[in-house]
Amino acid sequence: MKLFKKMSLLAAVSLVAVSALVGSASAASSLSGKITINGSTALLPLTLQAAKEFQKLNPKVKIAASGKGSVTGPQAVKKGIAEIGACDWDASMDVPGFKAFDGQVANKVAVIPFATIANKNVKVNNLTTEQLKGIYSGKITNWKDVGGDNADIVVITRAFGSGTRVNYQSKALAGGDIVKKEKNYKEVGSSGDMKTAVATTPNAIGYIDLVYVNSDVKAISYNGVAPTTDNVINGTYKIWAYGYYMTKGQPTGATKAFIEYVQSQKFQQGSLKKLKFIPVSAMH
Amino acid sequence: MSTSTQQAVPEDHALFMEPSSKGRFSRYMRVRMANRLFKYYFLFSILALCFVLGLVIFFIGKTALLTFAHISFAEFFFSFNWTPEEDHFGAAGIIVNTLSLTALTLVMAVPIAVGLAVLIAEIAPKWIKNIMRPVLDLLVGIPSIVYGYLGLTVLIPFLRRLSGENLGDGLLAAALVLALMVLPTICRISDEAISMVPKKYREAAYALGSTRLQVMMRVVIPAAGRGIITAVIMGMTRAIGETMAVVMVIGNTAQLAKILFTPASVLTSNIVMQISNVEFDSTWNYALHMMAFLLLVISFILILFIRYLGRKGSEKA
Repeated sequence: MKLFKKMSLLAAVSLVAVSALVGSASAASSLSGKITINGSTALLPLTLQAAKEFQKLNPKVKIAASGKGSVTGPQAVKKGIAEIGACDWDASMDVPGFKAFDGQVANKVAVIPFATIANKNVKVNNLTTEQLKGIYSGKITNWKDVGGDNADIVVITRAFGSGTRVNYQSKALAGGDIVKKEKNYKEVGSSGDMKTAVATTPNAIGYIDLVYVNSDVKAISYNGVAPTTDNVINGTYKIWAYGYYMTKGQPTGATKAFIEYVQSQKFQQGSLKKLKFIPVSAMH
Repeated sequence: MSTSTQQAVPEDHALFMEPSSKGRFSRYMRVRMANRLFKYYFLFSILALCFVLGLVIFFIGKTALLTFAHISFAEFFFSFNWTPEEDHFGAAGIIVNTLSLTALTLVMAVPIAVGLAVLIAEIAPKWIKNIMRPVLDLLVGIPSIVYGYLGLTVLIPFLRRLSGENLGDGLLAAALVLALMVLPTICRISDEAISMVPKKYREAAYALGSTRLQVMMRVVIPAAGRGIITAVIMGMTRAIGETMAVVMVIGNTAQLAKILFTPASVLTSNIVMQISNVEFDSTWNYALHMMAFLLLVISFILILFIRYLGRKGSEKA
């Protein structure tokens, strides 16, 4: 029973301590509120960085951010679970596989470039839209048909519904299909897995956010243009998409202030660039 | 703990010479109270567990059954075409893959695990036992993602070279990783079961002129049968429910695995690959819940089945 007394004392003390903390927190600063952000994992690093900076300026605003998958963003907004739904495509319009979310506003926050990648043993440096369409639809199955060695092409793709896949299909494949095959075809669940799979599988081809591309894999040019941030900005490299914050109607209050902070020149030219995204303003 | 100190009181009794009836009464009350409290505590524990289990079944089941408002029972269970983006929700291939993966895993793991258990429990000298047991315990505790990563970086390139396939992913890779994962679990529990077999059984068998092999095969292993079956259950439930390690090596393509190297998909890997990319109120989401529900049902059935077998076996023995 002694233990019991001790426990209850401990509980009482911690209760007092917690309530004191809560009490002291609710003081200072003008802007207040709670922002829940859900959705895309690709945009999560940007969201977390922005949340950290924004909370320093506005200590009374609480931001909870998490990443799961692009489509969960607008869904969470629709259900009222989250104020902001981060999504790799404009969810207020129809995209292949997903209907538009009515009444939601898409706020552009960043430009995300994507790259076609291949295993380092692949000799091909450039692929055209038609060649990529052929490869992903299963019509072209050997590297020699696109100017490489005589070897089977191993297609690595993201699962259906992935934001990267939605964008890659609509930009790089011009809406073309990615067709499931019995051999030499594999689906992976995340950008990290994509990189590992392509890097370790000979003759593999895949696609990924440009920020993930490093010396482990070979970046392939698209219609003769190398995938670099400069080529995205000067308009020659076409495989890129805006990252969006979806909101229910026009954002208000703390949510509005947060989105404005992310869109501000200070954040776009500073932290956003450091995280290897491209500022929205660079695309005009 | 409090009850054990209470039980020491009668001895103190004599020392104090003046046992007050009041003290006795309160002691009696305390013991009664403690007993009753513990009774409620245990009851509460059981109820809490049943409640959680009930909730899981209820909520998964509720969402799962919505599937059949949109597609037919027959399509889900007998069609091999899982292409949700085109409204085809045939899970048969995935279900078959799950069962064959589990079977393949057990076929590889159980003989080795039981053999290893016999070695540790019966044959090996003490110093080997003292090394093997902690090593196996450590292996049980390694997170599945570590096994998956090893599978992806070591096993797959090896299988690729061995088989001449371009991708090493498939049932074989997954089964090998799973076999490695469940082996220590099965081995350790079997080992314990074998060690529990009374020494007199062995002595009697030797006295009747059995060879060592006969003692092992005819006496010790059958006597430890139920324990070994429990071990297999534990291994099997781990194999059937394992997700992360499988996702990394199976290829994640929703199709029936016709050969061991076809990139395939099992229930767990299919759920984890797709659940984050589906809309809440879609048949796709319901169908994935149905798969989760099915996984639950499959493990229940398998456990009941093996329990039943175990009981039958022990009655015979």
